[in-house]
Amino acid sequence: MELKINGKTHSVDVEESMPLLWVLRDELNLTGTKYGCGVSSCGACTVMLDGLAVRTCTLPASSAIGKEINTIEGIEVEGGLSAVQKAWIEHQVPQCGYCQSGMIVATEALLNENPNPTDEDIDQAINNICRCGTYPRIRAAIHTAAEWRAANKNLPG
Amino acid sequence: MTNNKKKKGGKWTRRAFIATGGLAGVGLVVGVGGTLYLNKKIKEYSGSGFGEGSLLNAWINITPDNTIIMAVPRAEMGQGVYTSIPMLMAEELEVEMASIKIIQPQPEPAYANTTVLVNHPRDIFKGMSFMEKIAHFLPLVATGGSTTIRDGYDQMRAAGASAREMLIQAAAKQWKVDKSQCYAEKAYVINRATQEKLSYGSLAEAAAKIELPGIPELKPQKDFKLVGKPIQRLDIPEKVTGKAEFGLDVRLEDMCYGVIRHATYHGGQITKVANQEEIEKMRGVKKVVLLPKGIGAVVVADNTWRAKNAALALDLQEIGDNTLSSEKINQQAEEVIANKLIATPLNKGEASDVLDKAETVLEGKYDVPYLAHACMEPINFTVLVDGDKAEAWGGHQGSSIVLDGVNAATGIAKENITTHITYLGGGFGRRAEIDMVLNAAHVAKEMPGIPIQLVYTREEAMRHEMYRPLVKSHFRASLNEAGVIEAWENKIALQSVMNSSIMRIKPAFAEAPKKDPLSVEGAADLPYDMNHAKVAFGQLELPIQVGSWRSVGNSQNAFFTESFMDECAHAAGQDPYEFRKTKLNSHPRFLNVLNKVAEMSNWSTPLGEGRYRGIALHKSFGSIVGQVVEISKIDEKKFKIDKYYCAIDCGRTVNPDTIEAQMMSGIIFGLSAALYGEITFKDGEVEQYNFPQYEMVRMNVAPAIDVHIMEVDEYPGGVGEPGTPPAAPALTNAIFAATGERVRSLPLKKHGYTFV
Ligand code: FES
Ligand code: FES
Repeated sequence: MELKINGKTHSVDVEESMPLLWVLRDELNLTGTKYGCGVSSCGACTVMLDGLAVRTCTLPASSAIGKEINTIEGIEVEGGLSAVQKAWIEHQVPQCGYCQSGMIVATEALLNENPNPTDEDIDQAINNICRCGTYPRIRAAIHTAAEWRAANKNLPG
Repeated sequence: MTNNKKKKGGKWTRRAFIATGGLAGVGLVVGVGGTLYLNKKIKEYSGSGFGEGSLLNAWINITPDNTIIMAVPRAEMGQGVYTSIPMLMAEELEVEMASIKIIQPQPEPAYANTTVLVNHPRDIFKGMSFMEKIAHFLPLVATGGSTTIRDGYDQMRAAGASAREMLIQAAAKQWKVDKSQCYAEKAYVINRATQEKLSYGSLAEAAAKIELPGIPELKPQKDFKLVGKPIQRLDIPEKVTGKAEFGLDVRLEDMCYGVIRHATYHGGQITKVANQEEIEKMRGVKKVVLLPKGIGAVVVADNTWRAKNAALALDLQEIGDNTLSSEKINQQAEEVIANKLIATPLNKGEASDVLDKAETVLEGKYDVPYLAHACMEPINFTVLVDGDKAEAWGGHQGSSIVLDGVNAATGIAKENITTHITYLGGGFGRRAEIDMVLNAAHVAKEMPGIPIQLVYTREEAMRHEMYRPLVKSHFRASLNEAGVIEAWENKIALQSVMNSSIMRIKPAFAEAPKKDPLSVEGAADLPYDMNHAKVAFGQLELPIQVGSWRSVGNSQNAFFTESFMDECAHAAGQDPYEFRKTKLNSHPRFLNVLNKVAEMSNWSTPLGEGRYRGIALHKSFGSIVGQVVEISKIDEKKFKIDKYYCAIDCGRTVNPDTIEAQMMSGIIFGLSAALYGEITFKDGEVEQYNFPQYEMVRMNVAPAIDVHIMEVDEYPGGVGEPGTPPAAPALTNAIFAATGERVRSLPLKKHGYTFV
């Protein structure tokens, strides 16, 4: 099957039912997308499918055919890191870092939908697990990223 | 293989010790007393992994283009050691953080962590104690017990200072001036008189040949440029792009993926795979491997998902105890408390007598369940066996444990094994275990030439863990009219974490079970004034593996003791803060932290309608943490956790931004356990197998957290764990304030409490 990932078409020979996560990680070596639970509970495996955040550990790869898949590896914008990534550095969010690909991709999708989310919106939209408990800094970073995107101002760094 | 040590094992290490002592005596070794191992001559390190450049000591290598390569032999699991250890060296070396590159060295004696074994930092200006020598002898190169800074605070600055001194002397020689004419700044040595500069890179080769008579004097704290000031972590940029490599991200040519199925029953055994042929015909499957002693079976395939499906399809014949249940374990614990206490680590006065005679006795029976670490990155390790050599990749808290594991499983000599330590997707004690290394190495040995990435699915990782033990703690206390604690008695029952861990990691040391001091850490060393006090414990013997879980004994003992302190305050009719305050007469540092957190939270000002607070104070790993939590009552048993205030006295700081992050992390880790955490056994099996049954605090429940770091000019304490212990009792104390219900058994969810 053919999959369009981060703007590039990849051809893979896998079972229809193989979850997209394992195609990304084991067939294409795109290891930025993580395995955390395999049951759509933790969000570590989040990618954007046509701009929407989806959990790929239970999503058959075949259902992504013909769609735009964007992984953490494709989040950077021209000229470097995205506003979300920069806000993550500004607030020194990651600890172990394992959940952060999923968190960042989920945040990109949230801000595309809702450029100025309230705390309640964040509670609703970002329900990924971070075992290191970086939630307070994630919340702060989301607000900063939203501001920076709105002002479209020159980002630091 | 880059590890170029000739020989290891008993002889080699012993010779090193003798050589060290002897050389130190005649003053040839850099490092007074020979305890710093800064000179390669003593063969305490091979220098492998540094690449090009000149090695000034075990930690610092400088390339001609002025890149500073530093060895960080500790695990980066989110606690920021890849930044804080370089900061300590850079402070004395006089280099900027931007010029630093980090490597993970091989686990060699120079990199031993002695503090993790003896729980107090080594005096680098003195010789080593017996236990410290053991840590070197093994060597124990490990990250845990919140020891990295405690172990490295002096050593790493000394490493930086020594290298700087060597560079200055090399420059002085070249300019033919006295070394006092030279100073170091931003990776250059500068000639005071002429303002000429020489880069470290140009001096390193000559500097590497210089021998110092001892450790140079270290900078006084007031001159610090880096240490104690918040800086951005070096590992964070690659953690926002997905490029950071965790163990599960290791990708090697021809690599295959193995997925494990453990024996279902704890302590049980798989005797046969009944459908092996059938499984080996499944798409992508290469082999089914039965692990030694039938502890598990592994399916190896060309893709993790294929291996996982095949592992689930295994038809296993098993033996084991299918009657083990939480009920039985609870009964056993009750019996231990009643009849089988084995040690009384605290016995001041006549506590039991006083209580037996007292008119009014306060009683509280507490318990907590088994807990899983549930690291975000499921457990895994990758091993390649190739002839008489092996390599191992993954995130681990002990590179020396990785070496031990590969050696034990394959028989390959340690000097022929190379370790590659990646980032850890969480550690919390789980990644100090040896099982994943042993299991991966065993499969790799069966499939030589093929790198094997062994993966525990979330379900396997959760159901076959080294759990925080189930613990019971039974209190009695009596107070006088003024609220003075006349007598305090605490009887504890649990499985020994220490005995269980040693059995796995160093079976040779595990002869007779010992009385485990970790059982009472945070219970027998309370700061509060008490006239009579007794803390005793007994140990359960069960086939369940238990291990170190972030803050270990403190994780339960803080909940027990700080809750019961609250019960005492209530019985005395006193405010919980004031009650504690009057009992800290001989512990000013505790008192300062308590007062600070009360001030931060405006403790004496009542909260509005429907809002309540709780307080807790606890010392662990050399740091004192006080917490106040504010909660809002939404419904009878439905609450919102609004905010934690947290004050920490960890002595001198290295990177305060990391300390704040670790306090937040520790609190949320403690909250997940307090709200939801519970591993239970039924019919010999663990009942929870993934996050839907073993829930975590998420964004919507996570409180705001306000952290204050006290300014205290004392030797640093740890920060990775001390944030966790007070989180649960602060909350249950707040719930008592709100409902009048004293929660003596965690988690809160089993009492019907919900949180939004
Ligand atoms: S791995 Fe997909 S949601 Fe957890
Ligand atoms: S940073 Fe470790 S799980 Fe989120």
